[in-house]
Amino acid sequence: MSNRLHRILAIAFLLYGVGAAADDDLEERLAACAVCHGKHGEGASGSEYYPHLAGKPAGYLLEQLQGFRDGRRINAQMTWLVQFVDDAYLREIAQYYAAQPPRTRAADTGASELTEARRAIAEKLVEHGDPQRDVPACSECHGKALTGLEPGVPALVGLPAEYIIAQFGNWREGIRRGAAPDCMHDVANKIAPEDIRAIATWLSQRPNADAQRPAPAGSFVPPKACGSLPHAERRP
Amino acid sequence: MSARRRFGMLALALLPFVLAVVAIGGVLFLRQGGFAPYRVPHDGSRVVAGGAAMIARGETLAHIGNCAACHTTRGGVPFAGGRAFTTGYGTIYSTNLTPDVQHGLGDWSVEEFAHTMRNGVGRHGVLYPVFPYAHFALLSDADLDALYAYLRSVPASAIARPPNRLTFPASWRPALIAWRMLYYRPAATPSPASTPLDRGRYLVDGLGHCAMCHSTRGKRGSLPPQGYLAGGIIPGIGWYAPPLDSRQLQRYTVEQLADYLRSGTSAAGTAYGPMAEVVYSSLRGISDEDASAIATYLKQVPPHPLRAPSVMAPNTQPAQDSSTSINGADVYKDSCADCHGADGEGKDGKYPPLRDAVAVTAPDPINAVRMILYGGMPPTTAGNPRPHTMPPYVQQLTSAEIAAVVNYLRQTWGARDSQLTGVDIEAMHGIVID
Repeated sequence: MSNRLHRILAIAFLLYGVGAAADDDLEERLAACAVCHGKHGEGASGSEYYPHLAGKPAGYLLEQLQGFRDGRRINAQMTWLVQFVDDAYLREIAQYYAAQPPRTRAADTGASELTEARRAIAEKLVEHGDPQRDVPACSECHGKALTGLEPGVPALVGLPAEYIIAQFGNWREGIRRGAAPDCMHDVANKIAPEDIRAIATWLSQRPNADAQRPAPAGSFVPPKACGSLPHAERRP
Repeated sequence: MSARRRFGMLALALLPFVLAVVAIGGVLFLRQGGFAPYRVPHDGSRVVAGGAAMIARGETLAHIGNCAACHTTRGGVPFAGGRAFTTGYGTIYSTNLTPDVQHGLGDWSVEEFAHTMRNGVGRHGVLYPVFPYAHFALLSDADLDALYAYLRSVPASAIARPPNRLTFPASWRPALIAWRMLYYRPAATPSPASTPLDRGRYLVDGLGHCAMCHSTRGKRGSLPPQGYLAGGIIPGIGWYAPPLDSRQLQRYTVEQLADYLRSGTSAAGTAYGPMAEVVYSSLRGISDEDASAIATYLKQVPPHPLRAPSVMAPNTQPAQDSSTSINGADVYKDSCADCHGADGEGKDGKYPPLRDAVAVTAPDPINAVRMILYGGMPPTTAGNPRPHTMPPYVQQLTSAEIAAVVNYLRQTWGARDSQLTGVDIEAMHGIVID
């Protein structure tokens, strides 16, 4: 082996060590987050509500943290914790969770809720959307595997059904607001409440077997112009 | 005797009482400042130079005074007002300070601005005392000019504040004249600040308006001099603010206290609750000299009469509370000691000590209970850019366990006779944010 390769390996090892130390350090600092989201953002096992954070795009996580701080998302416990935290630390927190291994298992609640009728509705909307009402398929923006798209679109798999339903409600009411144009506000208002429950239940049972990360930025172009997708094609 | 004479006799008999009421009213009216506060200058024409240096000085002052914190909603346009303040009389919304003519201060002269800041009476009548005009009365002309120049320079925002929602008689502004007659006494204008001690007093009593939270309140939200910086429950939000005097602050040197103000953390404690907001939105940006001046002044404030007796850690262990089967010491060992230390000594500057901490020595347990229920994240500052956090325990401990551990903390390190039950803890549930 050449000297050069040795040196590269040594540097790589050193960097890996520094990275791991920084992770351990943040894991200790973020003890407050671990209670609901798990030590590595893997989510709390058996939780009826709390979403996992691991492996979601860093841009998405940062936007949510800023949203809780600045009033674009409402959750009293989250706002209480992050309200006096600046962008620099929020960005570091977002990057920490984004870099963790994506959660692979399905949310382990609500299996009995997934009736055949709901499965049919969900599969139709997730795969094909509802062109008559201008509702795109979930997979058109969140990726074929529903694991999200860098830098701003989150994975939809591995989330508790109640969490997904609550987000749809919040978008409809305008108390969860994304960067303009807020496409999820638009989409959520075009889907019937019973269909939302079907989608949420179906998604909650869907495993992400390959531990896939979000699709790389620009690897596909979603049909809707969203504020969280700076590279997306904007329609006037 | 005719009816007319009888009425005359009655009037004569009542005259001393009527005169007494008028005389007392007159004296009280004079003591709240007489007629002068109500003569709002409507035709001011003095021009304030709006140069870059003046605006920058005003920005620094607005930052020290933390104007934006009260006059901005969460994530809202800075200085556009609308933040809600809960009082015992209803909800009051802060005003729009931007230069918008219709909703803000667009057509205010500097004379009207200075008069309103110092007297609490403006073009819309008497101001509610949630606005700290008793403190701003101490501001120098030069500082008021600079603040005015700065507020003229921020972007105008045509946002109307929501109407106040108050109960009668507070909803009727002239009733505030009666409040002023009873409770408001204009302070004498201070001499110019020449020493750090003077500067500290000017910042604490003037711009910084520290007494709005850190004093013991009297009747109807008043701030009696005996309660000056004597600590108390903050109206509307329920947190306990500690006294700021020589006894309370003996744990700090001037340098340590100045450093705490700017960094939000110290070997003796970390800012949480409303103080975390004050550090984040104001103190973390003030100069070293100003922080030292504030610390110098506060450390020599004598304890005032309304102050609750202070208690510090005793050397003896308290007797176990026999009324509950839960042992607070066990809860502490399992859930708290890893970070706060077996003897409440804290850890490595990462986690604050609990021995002598405000939360355990305070006359009210609310701070300790809230921190345990909902956790906390200290404000990010240059001195503490990546804070360690406190986990929420609302779902991990039962109310009875939280009561037991708070009793243990307050008996062991606060010398407080704390006898909370789970029911008391449940009454303190609820996250207060706006």
